[in-house]
Amino acid sequence: MTEPSPTTPLLETNNLMVYFSSRKKWGEPQRFIRAVDGVSLSLREGETLGLVGESGCGKSTLARAILGLAPVTAGSVHYRGQRIDQFSARQMRPLRQEIQMIFQDPFASLNPRMSVGQIVTEPMSIFQLYSRRERRLEAMRLLDLVGLNPRYMNRYPHEFSGGQRQRIGIARALAVSPKIILCDEPVSALDVSIQAQVINLLQDLQQKLGLSYLFIAHDLAVVRHIADRVGVMYLGRLVESTDTERLYNNPQHPYTRALLSSSPVPDPVAERQRTGIALPGEIPSPETEFPGCRFFDRCLIREASCQTHDPPLEGTEHRVACPLAGKEIAEH
Amino acid sequence: MVETILEVKDLSVRFDTEEGVVGAVDRVGFTLMRGETLGLVGESGCGKSVTNLALLGLVPSPPGKIVGGEALYRGENLLEMSAGKLSRIRGNRIAMIFQDPMTSLNPFMTIADQMTEVTMLHLRHTYSEAIKHAITMLGNVGIASPESRIHGYPHQFSGGMRQRVMIAMALSCKPEILIADEPTTALDVTIQAQILELMKQLQESEGTAIIMITHDMGVVANICHRVHVMYAGRIVEQATCEELFARPRHPYTLGLLDSVPRVQKSAAGQLLAIDGQPPDLVHLPVGCAFEPRCRFSEERCLKEQPMLREMTPSGRAACFLDSLDGSKALSKETMDD
Repeated sequence: MTEPSPTTPLLETNNLMVYFSSRKKWGEPQRFIRAVDGVSLSLREGETLGLVGESGCGKSTLARAILGLAPVTAGSVHYRGQRIDQFSARQMRPLRQEIQMIFQDPFASLNPRMSVGQIVTEPMSIFQLYSRRERRLEAMRLLDLVGLNPRYMNRYPHEFSGGQRQRIGIARALAVSPKIILCDEPVSALDVSIQAQVINLLQDLQQKLGLSYLFIAHDLAVVRHIADRVGVMYLGRLVESTDTERLYNNPQHPYTRALLSSSPVPDPVAERQRTGIALPGEIPSPETEFPGCRFFDRCLIREASCQTHDPPLEGTEHRVACPLAGKEIAEH
Repeated sequence: MVETILEVKDLSVRFDTEEGVVGAVDRVGFTLMRGETLGLVGESGCGKSVTNLALLGLVPSPPGKIVGGEALYRGENLLEMSAGKLSRIRGNRIAMIFQDPMTSLNPFMTIADQMTEVTMLHLRHTYSEAIKHAITMLGNVGIASPESRIHGYPHQFSGGMRQRVMIAMALSCKPEILIADEPTTALDVTIQAQILELMKQLQESEGTAIIMITHDMGVVANICHRVHVMYAGRIVEQATCEELFARPRHPYTLGLLDSVPRVQKSAAGQLLAIDGQPPDLVHLPVGCAFEPRCRFSEERCLKEQPMLREMTPSGRAACFLDSLDGSKALSKETMDD
């Protein structure tokens, strides 16, 4: 692997598209589900990039496509400047040591028939790291690192609570000393008090090990807390992307603004006073074809031209895909 | 707003499991007034859902067993009511909506069949009356062109739309009490905002009392008038919504509020998580169930179980401490470090 220049992002996607073909109906043309439709983003060393959006916006598919787990239709993925989206499964293997993933459901993502020790040492034996004896010691060190008692090595997943299982999943991801962890809704299945523990753990580990996170979540408050930069996705597209503070203090895209104002705040006084922007309707099916802006149907600041003009993501520091960004939303 | 329509006293529910007896609900009591929204807050396994299932006679038995208490609805004890009488109230005077609208609708029946079933049973509507009523209800909850959509099956509706159908169905007999068990947890935020708004509107026009079961403090702040916080099967704090957020009296409530990241505040170091795990309900400690995770714990908390006691004219908490104020300032300081 060539040594990247300091400006090269660790991970980059360029105009990435992932289309799935939907079942063809007789007499109708083949339709495509545009799960990810032209997303360009970059992840720098040691940072956390948050990715928010509602269900079906393509944020999980994007993560899977990066790892080669979903087919890339067009566009490219680069890791340390090297193009990886056309890699064969064999070529992809060493990369999986660099890029690991943790999943939303700590119940479904651990094999119930494997002990914690087996779960955490398996990635090491796959990549032939350490000797057999060292693997066990390393697994115990990792368990300790994620806040679990190393004596739990011989227990099985069902003996643990959701938060503890998520810690096991994190230990498993760390077993091969990755550079990047793709976190797909890692805390949304957990109770609030446990959620805070896992968020703190992820932040700790990032500092200790210099990890980079792609942090996918639908909870805007969690993302604000953990991310350095944030991208907002809607129906397969990135509609806004900038530094966390800038995004939350000065959201531009009408969808981002609606999302932020729909999140209930744990403060009854603020809740009673606020004039939320109630977004009408629902996310359309990703099969729909849009000549213009895909947010048009639900947009509160739309103009006639939006229906035919597909807005590109523009800007350098603060990228927004809306020519009317920032326009005042009429009270209604 | 002063008329009490439901009064629950000392309700206890147990489950016999292989590991031992689980005290899922332990001497829970509350009152519900006409037209108010009462929040029942807590984390998984705290007993908030079981409490409400017990009211409607829906606790699976065995292994579940209601071991004590009463629930007075219009002077009658729901817990001792005959199955027949209870089924005339359930879905009619007291309705329930569940978290997952996918599993609580029957996938083999059209929306029309499912909705008419309720009113034909309870209101003795004929089929044509029932259909007409169901279409009106669907329109009320914001479903476009209800005349045609009513003949669809659940899979043809999105998650948010299914939850609207559930609400329309629950409200079709104009219940006095609506029990909503995490009704927006499975929904996206923009849809959640729509559903909460809808529930508030319907409450205003129909005067329905709502028991809102949730773990989301944001939802509580948005919709609830009064809040009860549950932990390990017990109510640990009762307060008005404003009081609870402004000045939590129980360390667990304080911990819950501190551990939620805020969307309007920038990140300031670590979140103040509550250490440890919720207790095993089979082996509850002798003293306060929250003691192992509590940062204010004292000698006394280990030996004695604190009872709910009055803290303010409208607030009660199950804690020996009179005030958490000094220590709240301390928690802010540690956050800034």
